[in-house]
Amino acid sequence: MRLQQAQFRILKDGPLEVTGNFVILDARGEEIEKEGPVYLCRCGGSRNKPFCDDTHKTGNFSG
Amino acid sequence: MDDPRNRQYTNGEITVFWEPSKCIHATTCFRELLEVFNPGRRPWVNMEGASSRKIIEVVNKCPTQALTWKYNSDLSREEQESVSQKNGTKDEVTPETLTETEEQSRPVSIKIMRNGPIIVEGEFRIIGPEGNELKTLRMTSFCRCGNSGRMPFCDGTHRKIGFTDHNG
Repeated sequence: MRLQQAQFRILKDGPLEVTGNFVILDARGEEIEKEGPVYLCRCGGSRNKPFCDDTHKTGNFSG
Repeated sequence: MDDPRNRQYTNGEITVFWEPSKCIHATTCFRELLEVFNPGRRPWVNMEGASSRKIIEVVNKCPTQALTWKYNSDLSREEQESVSQKNGTKDEVTPETLTETEEQSRPVSIKIMRNGPIIVEGEFRIIGPEGNELKTLRMTSFCRCGNSGRMPFCDGTHRKIGFTDHNG
């Protein structure tokens, strides 16, 4: 089955939700993940970067 | 033969030359200096966004010489004349529009930059916090440091605040 077009959803004051046809690479170009949904940290505080670990809920991240 | 898509941008001191046919989307320019090189804007090069010294530093990192520069005092007569004709326009080609012919079935590339943003390339949609669709782009960079002034996109703030991938 063909995957749907990739979609990025900005969750209010929270992470970036990624679904659809994508591949996530690290800075060296190595594959980290390609199956969604994936939640990427936007607040800068996760201890599991680049993924969200809900740290945004404990701080005062807005965006 | 001179490509009609070529552009020149000047701040009065230096001129930056943009040759889209040489671009391989290394994205170095806007990862390093989004204040000047921003494919989401028209014109996509803003010569007032940083000092000449900083612009030169980033242009020199372009791996294909799609971006080059000269001091205005070193411009030939032809180059001086063409600066006024070829400066930025609304319909100019940017590193982003260049990828429009790519197949839709290709997975979107999401690159996590070290101590920096998330660079996305390909065919994708962005949905905002209120469920509204934001501008559809072929290439963009999302903030990962939490401090951008133009959320959800990167504005280079991560460098100013010293954001790192170090956990904790």
